[in-house]
Amino acid sequence: MDTSRDDVSIAIRSAFLKKGTQQKFSLLILILLSITFIFFESIQFKPLDYLRSAVKDTIYRGSVIVSYPSKSFAGLANFFHNYINLHSNYNELKKENNILKNNISKYSYIELENNQLRKLIDEQVMSPGNMVSARVIIDKQSPYLNSFIINSGSNKNLKNGMAALDGQNFIGRIVDVNFFSSRVLLVSDLNSKIPVIIEPSGHHAILTGHGKNLPSLEYLPENHKVKDGDIVFTSGKEGVFFPGTPIGKAKLEKEEINVSLFSNLSQITFVNISLGESDKRK
Amino acid sequence: MAILFKNFKLRLLEFLPLLLLFFISLNGNSIIDFNFFSINAHYILVYFWVLRQPRSLGYGFIFLSGIITDVVFGLPLGVTALSLLVVSSVAAYVRVVTVNISLINDWISFIPAILLANFFYFIALYFSNYSVEYLYLFVNSIFTFIFYPILWSIFSLILNITKS
Repeated sequence: MDTSRDDVSIAIRSAFLKKGTQQKFSLLILILLSITFIFFESIQFKPLDYLRSAVKDTIYRGSVIVSYPSKSFAGLANFFHNYINLHSNYNELKKENNILKNNISKYSYIELENNQLRKLIDEQVMSPGNMVSARVIIDKQSPYLNSFIINSGSNKNLKNGMAALDGQNFIGRIVDVNFFSSRVLLVSDLNSKIPVIIEPSGHHAILTGHGKNLPSLEYLPENHKVKDGDIVFTSGKEGVFFPGTPIGKAKLEKEEINVSLFSNLSQITFVNISLGESDKRK
Repeated sequence: MAILFKNFKLRLLEFLPLLLLFFISLNGNSIIDFNFFSINAHYILVYFWVLRQPRSLGYGFIFLSGIITDVVFGLPLGVTALSLLVVSSVAAYVRVVTVNISLINDWISFIPAILLANFFYFIALYFSNYSVEYLYLFVNSIFTFIFYPILWSIFSLILNITKS
Protein backbone atom coordinates (compact mmCIF):
# COMPACT_ATOMS: atom_id res chain seq x y z
CA MET A 1 0.00 0.00 0.00
CA ASP A 2 2.78 2.39 1.03
CA THR A 3 4.77 1.52 -2.05
CA SER A 4 1.87 2.31 -4.41
CA ARG A 5 1.25 5.63 -2.62
CA ASP A 6 4.96 6.46 -3.02
CA ASP A 7 4.73 5.61 -6.70
CA VAL A 8 1.80 8.00 -7.18
CA SER A 9 3.55 10.84 -5.35
CA ILE A 10 6.73 10.26 -7.35
CA ALA A 11 4.70 10.32 -10.59
CA ILE A 12 2.90 13.52 -9.57
CA ARG A 13 6.15 15.21 -8.57
CA SER A 14 7.74 14.13 -11.81
CA ALA A 15 4.82 15.44 -13.87
CA PHE A 16 4.38 18.77 -12.11
CA LEU A 17 7.80 19.85 -10.91
CA LYS A 18 10.30 18.28 -13.29
CA LYS A 19 11.16 20.20 -16.40
CA GLY A 20 11.00 17.60 -19.16
CA THR A 21 13.06 17.48 -22.32
CA GLN A 22 13.50 20.99 -23.69
CA GLN A 23 10.94 22.37 -21.20
CA LYS A 24 11.91 25.72 -19.72
CA PHE A 25 9.13 26.00 -17.16
CA SER A 26 7.61 23.51 -14.76
CA LEU A 27 3.86 22.96 -14.93
CA LEU A 28 3.33 24.05 -11.34
CA ILE A 29 4.94 27.45 -11.91
CA LEU A 30 2.79 28.07 -15.00
CA ILE A 31 -0.41 26.95 -13.24
CA LEU A 32 0.35 29.39 -10.41
CA LEU A 33 1.06 32.09 -13.00
CA SER A 34 -2.33 31.45 -14.66
CA ILE A 35 -4.11 31.75 -11.31
CA THR A 36 -2.23 35.02 -10.67
CA PHE A 37 -3.40 36.31 -14.08
CA ILE A 38 -7.03 35.45 -13.27
CA PHE A 39 -6.68 37.21 -9.93
CA PHE A 40 -5.14 40.33 -11.52
CA GLU A 41 -8.01 40.49 -14.05
CA SER A 42 -10.35 41.53 -11.26
CA ILE A 43 -8.06 44.34 -10.10
CA GLN A 44 -8.60 47.77 -11.67
CA PHE A 45 -5.23 49.53 -11.49
CA LYS A 46 -4.10 52.12 -14.07
CA PRO A 47 -0.61 50.74 -14.98
CA LEU A 48 -2.10 47.24 -15.10
CA ASP A 49 -4.91 48.46 -17.39
CA TYR A 50 -2.32 50.00 -19.75
CA LEU A 51 -0.40 46.73 -19.84
CA ARG A 52 -3.59 44.76 -20.50
CA SER A 53 -4.60 47.16 -23.29
CA ALA A 54 -1.18 46.89 -24.96
CA VAL A 55 -1.21 43.07 -24.79
CA LYS A 56 -4.77 42.84 -26.13
CA ASP A 57 -4.13 45.33 -28.95
CA THR A 58 -1.05 43.34 -30.05
CA ILE A 59 -2.91 40.03 -29.99
CA TYR A 60 -5.88 41.47 -31.90
CA ARG A 61 -3.56 42.68 -34.67
CA GLY A 62 -1.92 39.24 -34.79
CA SER A 63 -5.34 37.61 -34.94
CA VAL A 64 -6.42 39.86 -37.82
CA ILE A 65 -3.34 38.84 -39.84
CA VAL A 66 -3.68 35.11 -39.09
CA SER A 67 -7.41 35.02 -39.82
CA TYR A 68 -7.00 36.89 -43.13
CA PRO A 69 -6.86 33.75 -45.37
CA SER A 70 -9.95 32.15 -43.78
CA LYS A 71 -11.77 35.49 -43.92
CA SER A 72 -10.94 35.88 -47.61
CA PHE A 73 -12.17 32.36 -48.30
CA ALA A 74 -15.42 33.04 -46.44
CA GLY A 75 -15.79 36.32 -48.38
CA LEU A 76 -15.33 34.47 -51.67
CA ALA A 77 -17.96 31.87 -50.74
CA ASN A 78 -20.31 34.67 -49.73
CA PHE A 79 -19.72 36.44 -53.03
CA PHE A 80 -20.69 33.33 -55.03
CA HIS A 81 -23.72 32.77 -52.83
CA ASN A 82 -24.88 36.36 -53.37
CA TYR A 83 -24.26 36.08 -57.11
CA ILE A 84 -26.41 32.96 -57.37
CA ASN A 85 -29.26 34.62 -55.44
CA LEU A 86 -29.00 37.93 -57.31
CA HIS A 87 -32.21 37.63 -59.32
CA SER A 88 -34.50 36.62 -56.46
CA ASN A 89 -32.93 39.29 -54.22
CA TYR A 90 -33.58 41.92 -56.90
CA ASN A 91 -37.30 41.05 -57.09
CA GLU A 92 -37.64 41.07 -53.30
CA LEU A 93 -35.89 44.43 -53.01
CA LYS A 94 -38.13 45.88 -55.73
CA LYS A 95 -41.26 44.89 -53.80
CA GLU A 96 -39.77 46.17 -50.53
CA ASN A 97 -38.81 49.46 -52.17
CA ASN A 98 -42.38 50.05 -53.36
CA ILE A 99 -43.74 49.47 -49.85
CA LEU A 100 -41.11 51.74 -48.31
CA LYS A 101 -41.82 54.52 -50.82
CA ASN A 102 -45.46 54.44 -49.78
CA ASN A 103 -44.53 54.64 -46.11
CA ILE A 104 -41.94 57.44 -46.31
CA SER A 105 -44.37 60.34 -46.09
CA LYS A 106 -46.19 58.75 -43.13
CA TYR A 107 -42.94 58.18 -41.18
CA SER A 108 -41.47 61.63 -41.77
CA TYR A 109 -44.59 63.15 -40.25
CA ILE A 110 -44.34 60.82 -37.22
CA GLU A 111 -40.63 61.68 -36.81
CA LEU A 112 -41.38 65.40 -36.88
CA GLU A 113 -44.12 64.98 -34.33
CA ASN A 114 -41.84 62.81 -32.16
CA ASN A 115 -39.05 65.43 -32.18
CA GLN A 116 -41.49 68.15 -31.15
CA LEU A 117 -42.83 66.04 -28.31
CA ARG A 118 -39.31 65.20 -27.12
CA LYS A 119 -38.46 68.90 -27.02
CA LEU A 120 -41.56 69.45 -24.96
CA ILE A 121 -40.33 67.04 -22.28
CA ASP A 122 -36.77 68.44 -22.41
CA GLU A 123 -35.24 65.23 -23.60
CA GLN A 124 -32.01 65.37 -25.58
CA VAL A 125 -32.46 64.36 -29.18
CA MET A 126 -29.63 62.20 -30.45
CA SER A 127 -27.70 63.78 -33.27
CA PRO A 128 -25.51 61.97 -35.79
CA GLY A 129 -22.61 64.16 -34.66
CA ASN A 130 -22.43 62.17 -31.43
CA MET A 131 -21.48 59.00 -33.28
CA VAL A 132 -18.18 57.35 -34.04
CA SER A 133 -18.05 54.74 -36.78
CA ALA A 134 -15.81 51.72 -36.41
CA ARG A 135 -15.02 48.60 -38.39
CA VAL A 136 -15.40 45.07 -37.02
CA ILE A 137 -11.90 43.56 -37.16
CA ILE A 138 -12.41 40.25 -35.35
CA ASP A 139 -15.71 38.46 -35.33
CA LYS A 140 -14.89 35.14 -33.71
CA GLN A 141 -18.14 34.14 -32.10
CA SER A 142 -16.97 32.35 -28.99
CA PRO A 143 -19.44 29.74 -27.78
CA TYR A 144 -19.26 31.38 -24.38
CA LEU A 145 -19.21 35.03 -25.32
CA ASN A 146 -21.13 36.67 -28.19
CA SER A 147 -18.97 39.65 -28.97
CA PHE A 148 -16.70 41.20 -31.58
CA ILE A 149 -13.72 43.51 -31.74
CA ILE A 150 -13.85 46.94 -33.40
CA ASN A 151 -10.91 49.07 -34.53
CA SER A 152 -11.55 52.06 -32.25
CA GLY A 153 -10.66 52.42 -28.62
CA SER A 154 -9.66 55.09 -26.15
CA ASN A 155 -7.98 56.92 -29.08
CA LYS A 156 -11.54 57.79 -30.27
CA ASN A 157 -12.80 58.53 -26.73
CA LEU A 158 -14.74 55.28 -26.45
CA LYS A 159 -15.66 54.21 -22.93
CA ASN A 160 -17.11 51.12 -21.30
CA GLY A 161 -20.90 50.96 -21.43
CA MET A 162 -21.39 53.00 -24.62
CA ALA A 163 -24.09 51.78 -27.01
CA ALA A 164 -23.13 50.08 -30.27
CA LEU A 165 -25.52 50.53 -33.19
CA ASP A 166 -25.91 48.89 -36.57
CA GLY A 167 -27.24 51.83 -38.56
CA GLN A 168 -29.89 53.11 -36.14
CA ASN A 169 -30.50 49.75 -34.42
CA PHE A 170 -29.09 48.87 -31.04
CA ILE A 171 -26.91 45.72 -31.11
CA GLY A 172 -24.83 45.82 -27.93
CA ARG A 173 -22.55 47.79 -25.68
CA ILE A 174 -18.82 48.29 -25.20
CA VAL A 175 -17.36 46.17 -22.42
CA ASP A 176 -13.60 46.41 -22.88
CA VAL A 177 -11.70 49.43 -24.22
CA ASN A 178 -8.05 49.24 -25.28
CA PHE A 179 -5.93 51.93 -26.98
CA PHE A 180 -6.84 51.05 -30.58
CA SER A 181 -9.57 48.44 -30.18
CA SER A 182 -12.66 47.67 -28.12
CA ARG A 183 -14.91 44.70 -27.49
CA VAL A 184 -18.64 44.99 -28.17
CA LEU A 185 -20.82 42.63 -26.12
CA LEU A 186 -23.84 41.75 -28.24
CA VAL A 187 -27.42 41.73 -26.92
CA SER A 188 -27.60 37.99 -27.58
CA ASP A 189 -24.85 37.21 -25.04
CA LEU A 190 -25.63 35.44 -21.77
CA ASN A 191 -24.09 38.32 -19.81
CA SER A 192 -26.11 41.03 -21.58
CA LYS A 193 -28.98 42.73 -19.70
CA ILE A 194 -30.47 45.87 -21.31
CA PRO A 195 -33.31 48.04 -19.89
CA VAL A 196 -35.98 48.35 -22.60
CA ILE A 197 -39.43 49.77 -23.24
CA ILE A 198 -42.07 48.03 -25.38
CA GLU A 199 -44.27 50.04 -27.69
CA PRO A 200 -47.22 50.63 -27.87
CA SER A 201 -47.97 49.14 -24.41
CA GLY A 202 -45.22 51.24 -22.77
CA HIS A 203 -44.13 48.44 -20.42
CA HIS A 204 -40.57 48.46 -19.10
CA ALA A 205 -38.54 45.23 -19.10
CA ILE A 206 -35.03 43.83 -19.18
CA LEU A 207 -33.77 42.32 -22.44
CA THR A 208 -31.69 39.27 -21.51
CA GLY A 209 -29.37 37.40 -23.89
CA HIS A 210 -29.32 33.61 -24.11
CA GLY A 211 -26.27 32.83 -26.23
CA LYS A 212 -27.32 31.18 -29.47
CA ASN A 213 -31.08 31.66 -28.99
CA LEU A 214 -33.00 34.91 -29.36
CA PRO A 215 -32.85 37.34 -26.41
CA SER A 216 -35.98 37.45 -24.25
CA LEU A 217 -37.91 39.99 -22.20
CA GLU A 218 -37.77 39.57 -18.43
CA TYR A 219 -39.25 41.40 -15.43
CA LEU A 220 -42.41 42.44 -17.29
CA PRO A 221 -45.41 43.36 -15.11
CA GLU A 222 -47.80 40.47 -14.42
CA ASN A 223 -50.73 41.75 -16.47
CA HIS A 224 -48.73 42.99 -19.41
CA LYS A 225 -50.26 43.47 -22.85
CA VAL A 226 -47.27 42.71 -25.03
CA LYS A 227 -48.32 41.37 -28.43
CA ASP A 228 -46.53 39.70 -31.30
CA GLY A 229 -44.81 42.37 -33.39
CA ASP A 230 -44.58 45.06 -30.70
CA ILE A 231 -41.43 47.12 -31.08
CA VAL A 232 -38.70 47.00 -28.41
CA PHE A 233 -36.63 50.16 -27.78
CA THR A 234 -33.92 51.04 -25.27
CA SER A 235 -35.64 52.73 -22.34
CA GLY A 236 -32.75 54.94 -21.26
CA LYS A 237 -33.49 54.01 -17.65
CA GLU A 238 -30.57 54.44 -15.23
CA GLY A 239 -29.09 56.81 -17.84
CA VAL A 240 -27.15 53.97 -19.47
CA PHE A 241 -28.23 54.51 -23.11
CA PHE A 242 -30.25 56.99 -25.14
CA PRO A 243 -33.95 56.20 -24.95
CA GLY A 244 -35.81 55.19 -28.09
CA THR A 245 -33.10 53.30 -29.97
CA PRO A 246 -34.87 50.44 -31.79
CA ILE A 247 -33.75 46.89 -30.96
CA GLY A 248 -36.26 44.44 -32.42
CA LYS A 249 -39.78 43.03 -32.51
CA ALA A 250 -41.49 41.02 -29.78
CA LYS A 251 -42.12 37.38 -30.69
CA LEU A 252 -44.42 35.39 -28.42
CA GLU A 253 -43.29 31.76 -28.04
CA LYS A 254 -45.01 29.52 -25.46
CA GLU A 255 -44.34 31.06 -22.04
CA GLU A 256 -41.52 33.33 -23.19
CA ILE A 257 -41.45 36.62 -25.06
CA ASN A 258 -38.44 36.61 -27.32
CA VAL A 259 -37.14 39.52 -29.34
CA SER A 260 -36.37 39.11 -33.02
CA LEU A 261 -33.57 41.64 -33.62
CA PHE A 262 -33.71 44.19 -36.44
CA SER A 263 -30.02 43.59 -37.21
CA ASN A 264 -28.47 40.31 -38.24
CA LEU A 265 -25.63 40.05 -35.73
CA SER A 266 -23.55 37.72 -37.89
CA GLN A 267 -23.49 40.15 -40.85
CA ILE A 268 -22.13 43.31 -39.25
CA THR A 269 -19.09 45.00 -40.77
CA PHE A 270 -19.39 48.56 -39.43
CA VAL A 271 -20.88 49.82 -36.20
CA ASN A 272 -21.77 53.27 -34.87
CA ILE A 273 -20.83 54.02 -31.31
CA SER A 274 -22.99 56.55 -29.56
CA LEU A 275 -20.76 58.97 -27.63
CA GLY A 276 -23.58 61.31 -26.71
CA GLU A 277 -24.54 59.99 -23.32
CA SER A 278 -21.06 60.41 -21.85
CA ASP A 279 -20.84 63.96 -23.23
CA LYS A 280 -24.14 64.78 -21.61
CA ARG A 281 -22.86 63.54 -18.24
CA LYS A 282 -19.85 65.86 -18.41
CA MET B 1 18.34 19.74 -53.41
CA ALA B 2 16.15 16.73 -52.69
CA ILE B 3 17.85 16.21 -49.32
CA LEU B 4 17.41 19.88 -48.51
CA PHE B 5 13.71 19.67 -49.37
CA LYS B 6 13.29 16.49 -47.30
CA ASN B 7 15.00 18.13 -44.31
CA PHE B 8 12.79 21.19 -44.66
CA LYS B 9 9.68 18.99 -44.81
CA LEU B 10 10.73 17.08 -41.68
CA ARG B 11 11.54 20.28 -39.84
CA LEU B 12 8.13 21.68 -40.79
CA LEU B 13 6.40 18.54 -39.56
CA GLU B 14 8.30 18.78 -36.26
CA PHE B 15 7.09 22.33 -35.80
CA LEU B 16 3.58 21.51 -36.99
CA PRO B 17 2.06 21.01 -33.48
CA LEU B 18 3.47 24.37 -32.38
CA LEU B 19 2.28 26.13 -35.54
CA LEU B 20 -1.13 24.52 -35.19
CA LEU B 21 -1.31 25.53 -31.53
CA PHE B 22 -0.74 29.21 -32.28
CA PHE B 23 -2.81 29.17 -35.46
CA ILE B 24 -5.93 27.89 -33.72
CA SER B 25 -5.39 30.34 -30.85
CA LEU B 26 -4.97 33.40 -33.03
CA ASN B 27 -7.62 32.35 -35.54
CA GLY B 28 -10.13 31.65 -32.77
CA ASN B 29 -10.65 28.04 -33.88
CA SER B 30 -9.82 26.37 -30.59
CA ILE B 31 -13.46 25.33 -30.39
CA ILE B 32 -14.70 24.01 -33.73
CA ASP B 33 -18.40 24.78 -33.64
CA PHE B 34 -20.86 22.99 -35.93
CA ASN B 35 -24.62 23.29 -35.85
CA PHE B 36 -25.24 20.28 -33.67
CA PHE B 37 -21.95 19.72 -31.92
CA SER B 38 -18.64 21.34 -31.07
CA ILE B 39 -15.14 20.04 -30.46
CA ASN B 40 -12.34 21.53 -28.41
CA ALA B 41 -9.41 20.95 -30.77
CA HIS B 42 -7.09 22.76 -28.37
CA TYR B 43 -7.51 20.12 -25.65
CA ILE B 44 -6.91 17.23 -28.08
CA LEU B 45 -3.83 18.87 -29.58
CA VAL B 46 -2.25 19.66 -26.21
CA TYR B 47 -3.13 16.28 -24.68
CA PHE B 48 -1.77 14.24 -27.58
CA TRP B 49 1.54 16.05 -27.98
CA VAL B 50 2.33 16.39 -24.27
CA LEU B 51 1.60 12.69 -23.89
CA ARG B 52 3.45 11.41 -26.93
CA GLN B 53 6.19 13.93 -27.71
CA PRO B 54 6.46 16.69 -25.09
CA ARG B 55 9.50 18.29 -26.71
CA SER B 56 7.29 19.40 -29.64
CA LEU B 57 5.02 21.45 -27.40
CA GLY B 58 6.63 23.36 -24.53
CA TYR B 59 4.54 24.19 -21.47
CA GLY B 60 5.45 27.86 -21.90
CA PHE B 61 4.00 27.86 -25.42
CA ILE B 62 0.83 26.13 -24.17
CA PHE B 63 0.45 28.83 -21.53
CA LEU B 64 0.99 31.59 -24.10
CA SER B 65 -1.52 30.04 -26.50
CA GLY B 66 -4.07 29.91 -23.67
CA ILE B 67 -3.54 33.61 -22.99
CA ILE B 68 -4.02 34.40 -26.70
CA THR B 69 -7.26 32.37 -26.78
CA ASP B 70 -8.53 34.26 -23.74
CA VAL B 71 -7.87 37.60 -25.43
CA VAL B 72 -9.45 36.54 -28.74
CA PHE B 73 -12.55 35.09 -27.06
CA GLY B 74 -12.84 37.92 -24.52
CA LEU B 75 -12.45 35.72 -21.44
CA PRO B 76 -10.54 36.78 -18.32
CA LEU B 77 -6.79 36.35 -18.91
CA GLY B 78 -5.50 33.02 -17.60
CA VAL B 79 -8.71 30.96 -17.76
CA THR B 80 -7.95 28.96 -20.93
CA ALA B 81 -4.25 28.89 -20.01
CA LEU B 82 -5.15 27.25 -16.71
CA SER B 83 -7.43 24.64 -18.30
CA LEU B 84 -4.81 23.81 -20.97
CA LEU B 85 -2.15 23.40 -18.29
CA VAL B 86 -4.50 21.07 -16.39
CA VAL B 87 -4.84 18.96 -19.57
CA SER B 88 -1.01 19.00 -19.87
CA SER B 89 -0.66 17.94 -16.22
CA VAL B 90 -2.89 14.90 -16.70
CA ALA B 91 -1.04 14.04 -19.93
CA ALA B 92 2.34 14.38 -18.18
CA TYR B 93 1.14 12.19 -15.31
CA VAL B 94 -0.22 9.52 -17.69
CA ARG B 95 3.07 9.59 -19.59
CA VAL B 96 5.01 8.88 -16.39
CA VAL B 97 2.80 6.02 -15.20
CA THR B 98 2.10 4.18 -18.48
CA VAL B 99 4.38 1.94 -20.46
CA ASN B 100 2.22 0.79 -23.38
CA ILE B 101 1.12 3.29 -26.00
CA SER B 102 -2.29 2.51 -27.42
CA LEU B 103 -5.31 4.45 -28.57
CA ILE B 104 -7.54 2.88 -25.89
CA ASN B 105 -5.16 3.86 -23.05
CA ASP B 106 -4.85 7.41 -24.35
CA TRP B 107 -8.56 7.70 -24.98
CA ILE B 108 -9.65 6.52 -21.52
CA SER B 109 -7.09 8.69 -19.75
CA PHE B 110 -8.40 11.66 -21.76
CA ILE B 111 -11.67 11.51 -19.74
CA PRO B 112 -10.18 12.79 -16.45
CA ALA B 113 -8.19 15.36 -18.44
CA ILE B 114 -11.36 16.87 -19.97
CA LEU B 115 -13.33 16.66 -16.74
CA LEU B 116 -10.61 18.32 -14.66
CA ALA B 117 -9.90 20.99 -17.29
CA ASN B 118 -13.59 21.91 -17.60
CA PHE B 119 -13.96 21.91 -13.83
CA PHE B 120 -11.14 24.46 -13.49
CA TYR B 121 -12.54 26.39 -16.46
CA PHE B 122 -15.95 26.58 -14.83
CA ILE B 123 -14.54 27.55 -11.41
CA ALA B 124 -12.33 30.29 -12.91
CA LEU B 125 -15.24 31.76 -14.91
CA TYR B 126 -17.57 31.51 -11.93
CA PHE B 127 -15.22 33.55 -9.75
CA SER B 128 -14.73 36.06 -12.56
CA ASN B 129 -18.54 36.59 -12.70
CA TYR B 130 -18.91 35.24 -16.25
CA SER B 131 -22.03 33.31 -17.19
CA VAL B 132 -21.48 30.26 -19.37
CA GLU B 133 -23.85 27.77 -20.91
CA TYR B 134 -23.27 24.65 -18.84
CA LEU B 135 -25.12 22.39 -21.27
CA TYR B 136 -22.89 23.62 -24.09
CA LEU B 137 -19.79 22.90 -22.01
CA PHE B 138 -21.07 19.38 -21.28
CA VAL B 139 -21.97 18.61 -24.92
CA ASN B 140 -18.62 20.04 -26.02
CA SER B 141 -16.77 17.73 -23.59
CA ILE B 142 -18.61 14.66 -24.86
CA PHE B 143 -17.95 15.42 -28.53
CA THR B 144 -14.32 16.31 -27.81
CA PHE B 145 -13.96 12.84 -26.23
CA ILE B 146 -15.74 11.12 -29.15
CA PHE B 147 -13.67 12.98 -31.74
CA TYR B 148 -10.33 12.19 -30.03
CA PRO B 149 -9.51 8.99 -32.02
CA ILE B 150 -9.80 10.82 -35.36
CA LEU B 151 -7.27 13.49 -34.42
CA TRP B 152 -5.20 10.83 -32.62
CA SER B 153 -4.83 8.96 -35.95
CA ILE B 154 -3.82 12.11 -37.84
CA PHE B 155 -1.31 13.20 -35.20
CA SER B 156 0.12 9.66 -34.92
CA LEU B 157 0.70 9.68 -38.66
CA ILE B 158 2.61 12.98 -38.41
CA LEU B 159 4.57 11.62 -35.45
CA ASN B 160 5.53 8.46 -37.34
CA ILE B 161 6.72 10.47 -40.34
CA THR B 162 8.95 12.68 -38.17
CA LYS B 163 10.35 9.66 -36.34
CA SER B 164 11.10 7.61 -39.45
